[in-house]
Order: sequence, then C-alpha cells, then structure tokens
Amino acid sequence: MLKITNLETTYKDIILALKGISLEVPPAKIVTLLGANGAGKTTTINTVSGIRKTLDLTLEDGTIEFEGEIINEKEPYDVVARGILQVPEGRKVFAELTVDENIIIGSYTLTDRNKFSEGKNSVSGYFPVLKERGKQLAGYLSGGEQQMLVIARALMAEPKLIMMDEPSLGLAPLLVKEIFGIISRINSQEDVAILLVEQNANVALSIAHHGYILETGRIVMEGPSEVLREDRDIREFYLGLTEVGTKKSYREVKHYKRRKRWLS
Amino acid sequence: MEKILEVLFSGASIGAIYALIALGFVLIFKSTGILNFAQGELCMIGAFICYQFATLLNIPYILSFLIAIALGALLGSLIDLLFFRRLVGEPIYSTIMVTVGLGSILTCFSGLIWGHDVYALRSPFMNKTVSAGGMIFSQASLYTIGISILLFALFILFFNRSLLGVALKGTAEDSDTAGLMGINVKKMHMIIWAIGSTVAVVAGVFLAEQSFVQTSMSHTGIKAMSAAILGGMESLPGAIIGGFIVGIVESFAANYLSGLEMAGFHFGDIKDVVAFAIMIIVLMIRPHGIFGKEEVKRV
Ligand SMILES: Nc1ncnc2c1ncn2[C@@H]1O[C@H](COP(=O)(O)OP(=O)(O)O)[C@@H](O)[C@H]1O
Ligand SMILES: [Mg+2]
Repeated sequence: MLKITNLETTYKDIILALKGISLEVPPAKIVTLLGANGAGKTTTINTVSGIRKTLDLTLEDGTIEFEGEIINEKEPYDVVARGILQVPEGRKVFAELTVDENIIIGSYTLTDRNKFSEGKNSVSGYFPVLKERGKQLAGYLSGGEQQMLVIARALMAEPKLIMMDEPSLGLAPLLVKEIFGIISRINSQEDVAILLVEQNANVALSIAHHGYILETGRIVMEGPSEVLREDRDIREFYLGLTEVGTKKSYREVKHYKRRKRWLS
Repeated sequence: MEKILEVLFSGASIGAIYALIALGFVLIFKSTGILNFAQGELCMIGAFICYQFATLLNIPYILSFLIAIALGALLGSLIDLLFFRRLVGEPIYSTIMVTVGLGSILTCFSGLIWGHDVYALRSPFMNKTVSAGGMIFSQASLYTIGISILLFALFILFFNRSLLGVALKGTAEDSDTAGLMGINVKKMHMIIWAIGSTVAVVAGVFLAEQSFVQTSMSHTGIKAMSAAILGGMESLPGAIIGGFIVGIVESFAANYLSGLEMAGFHFGDIKDVVAFAIMIIVLMIRPHGIFGKEEVKRV
C-alpha cells in the first residue's frame, strides 16, 4: 500500500538525513520502523506527510508511492485526503482546544458528516477516558491521555494508513503496554495499516508484523517481527552502539539513557 | 446620572468599533503571526467603499454596506495572496514593515480616488436620535452597538461550534499539526485575512455613521491595537472587552477631563491619550494583557 523506494532527503539542502531508504507497508499490517535517536525516523514520516517547508526538508531522490500513485510532492492536506494520517512525535495535541474539539479537527477531512458520531463512538470505545474528559482543555490531560487523544484524532479521519511517531515516548511501561494493546486492536478491527516508528524495540516488535531497522539514514536490517525478536544480533545492535558510545557528548548520554529502554 | 449613562453609551458605541478592528488584529496575529498595522487603513477603505456606493452612486444603504463587506473580504484575501502568504514565519520586523507600507499605500490610493476632504455617509440613521428616560441616544450609536454585539455572538458561535471555526482555531495554535489533520493551512490563512479585513470594514462603516468619512479615519487602527494588546492579543473575548474598555474610558475622559485646567496645565485633547495611558499601565502590571495567558502547560 505504502511503498518507499530509495528515498533520499536533506535538511537545509546540505544535511543528508535519509540516504536512500526503501520500505513497504502492506494493507492492514503493522510495520515498525526502529532506530535510535537521530536515525531519521521522524524525517521519514514527515517526508511522506509532506511537511517540508517549515522544516526546510527537501526530497532529493526516490519515490513515495501510495496505492500505486506517486505522492512525492503532495501538500500535507492532500496526503491526508488520500488516507494517510500521522500521529506526530511528542503528541502535539491542540493544547488550547478541548478534547472534543481535537476530535472534531481529526474529522476535518470526513466528507460524509453523518459518519462523525459513528466515528466518535468507535473512538470512545477504544479510549473511554476521552469521553469523560471531552470538555477539558487537551493541554491539561496527562501524557498517556494525550497520546490516546492524538491516536483517536487520527482515527476520526477514517485513515487507511496511520504513521505513529514514538507513541511510547515518556510513558510508564504499564501505560505503554495498554496503549500498544489498543493499537493492535485498532489495526485488526479497523482494517487500518500502521507504520509504527519506535525506539522501544521490544514493545514495538510485540505487536508488529514486520520490522525495519534504521541507522543514520540507512535501513540496516529488516524482517518479520518473530525473526527480529529472536535475533540476538538485534539486541546487541541496540545495546552495542559502540562507535557512538565512545564519543563523550551530551547526545551520547541521551543515547545511553534511551538505549536502556530497548530491553526494558 | 443620565449624563453618566449617555457618556457610557457613546463610549460603548466607539468601543464596539475598536473591538471589531481589534478582533481582526487578534485573529490575524494569532493565526499567521503577523501584526497587521494596516487594520486602520482597511477600516478607512471600508468607509470609503460604502460612501462610494451609498452617497455617490445613490445605491440603497444596506446594499452598499453588503457590497463593502464583500469587497472587504476580497481585499483581505488578495492581501494575503499577494503579500503575506509568502511571509508567514518570516521575522516580525519584516512583516510589520510590510503592513505599515501597505497601510500607507492604501491611504495614498484612497486619497487619489476620493480626495482628502471630509465626507458624509448617506445612511438611514444620520442625525437621528432616540430618547428614553430623559436621555438622548443617537440612532447610529444604538445601531452600531446592536449589530456589533450580534456579530460578536456569531463569532463566538462560529469559532466554538462550526467545523471550520474549530479548524481555524487549531491552525492558529499549531499550523503544522493542523496540516497533518488534512487542513489546508494556506486556505485557512486566507479565510482569516478575509474575516480580519471584513470586521475592519464593518467598523469603518459604523465609524462613518457616527462621524465622517475621511482618510484620517485610519488612526483608529492604532487605538484598536492598544485595545487588542490590552485584551491579551491572543484572546477574542479579550479583544472585544479591550475595545469596549478603551472606548468607554475615552468617552469619560472626553466628557469629564477635556479642557480641564489643573495647576496651569491644559488637559486639551486628553481623550486621544487615554487609550495609550491605560494600555501602558495595564502592561506594566500584566505584560500579557488582561486576558493574555502564559501558554497552557503541556504535560
Ligand atoms: N529541522 C531539522 N534541521 C536540520 N536537521 C534536522 C532537523 N530535524 C532533524 N534533523 C537531523 O536529521 C537527522 C534525523 O533526525 P530525525 O528524523 O528527527 O531522527 P529520529 O526521529 O529517528 O530521532 C538527525 O541527525 C537530526 O539531527
Ligand atoms: Mg523522531
């Protein structure tokens, strides 16, 4: 359904962030894109979504195909209109709007307005807490509730593909487990494909069908989740990071902290 | 007592005008990050367009008003298309200077087309009054206040109840994320410019009802801006209340302080200073304005 071929992108015309990556998301499957901080995961899905101008991000080479059509240079709203929704990194709820208004914005592209309440009911089924919090400002929700809200918001558009950027980030392990359980249910019940971007390999591979591993702009490994899960190299690959580990920098410390989460 | 009510009333009728212009200010600023110093000129243009049709071409007042509104929306959209679409996200000092330049171009064109004299708008409310309880109110003021309040109510409904209104609010808060929801951000900005320009045009017609049509009407813009800042710059109710506060305080100053002499000093035209004086005082105490808030904390 989504097919990325040899995608190469730069920031500010000089920083090569993606060095020719290829990946594919089949219909109704969960595919996870794993990689450490700075690997290029967010860049990948932002390129697909078409938010480039504000980031000074340029698609230099390669193709993005969705349902057989090349969507390289589409504007963000056009990408959404085709059924590709992004759940951005860091949640990005509309903090000054109520939970209900966030849900309404999610339904913006629904042309058949009769489907709104149907969608809202289904979303409340997955996330009952959002119904209780409907009139509250989204900025005052807890991190977990905000994560639920942005997933719900994307679902309102009746997407064919949802690209989720690190939904586990900053959440307690129990909450992560709950949310990933719901993501898995959404995938099977709504027949929606999911491109799951994660640093937390364990939990991502527990619900994904297939996985890709991205390292500084290159796909270095791919395979079915069962295979990746069992592969000891994968664990070492993430624990290792020796070249990075030898540099004493702030970023490296951050890497180290994040790395611990891989096996937690 | 009657005098106080009359002064309050005439203050509210000017305040409604400030509030309308301020509303446009806040909408444009909140959505596009551009401080539109040409709001006052848009108000002036609105008055001239209505004057052109109602007085010069003898077209019925209501029709002239509607034409002015339509042309105002068109002008706002054009301004966005020609200038500000490209300037979203550029440094604020650049965008401000573009709006200032645009304002003086608009004034120049109005002068060329209509001249720099003082003209009267032919309107059904001209020089008519209503008396109630021993007080006298001008019909134009009553009309201004009535229609403005109706418009404010409609705006609040629009932004809280309609899909487009909520989408506009979302775009104002975070345009990248709005784009991710399938919202055409450029289209939203154009709509906001159209609305912001239209409210200024309506304000211009109301102002013309209460006084005259002239190029110097554009000076209202800077007072409306102080009303918007007073209200917090980010808040629609704030802009409305800020507008009324400035109008009412001004009216009291004009009636009770103007021409006053104190210790040999003349207060003269104190009315025109009052808006700025209260703005300065409020900003010293609350730099974000009365309704301005620090950002909602993200958890
Ligand atoms: N707006 C930007 N401008 C310049 N470089 C950026 C920008 N965003 C990300 N990068 C760089 O691109 C690389 C990939 O970043 P990103 O896609 O955010 O990684 P990830 O999401 O995997 O953590 C990093 O080296 C990062 O520093
Ligand atoms: Mg990222």
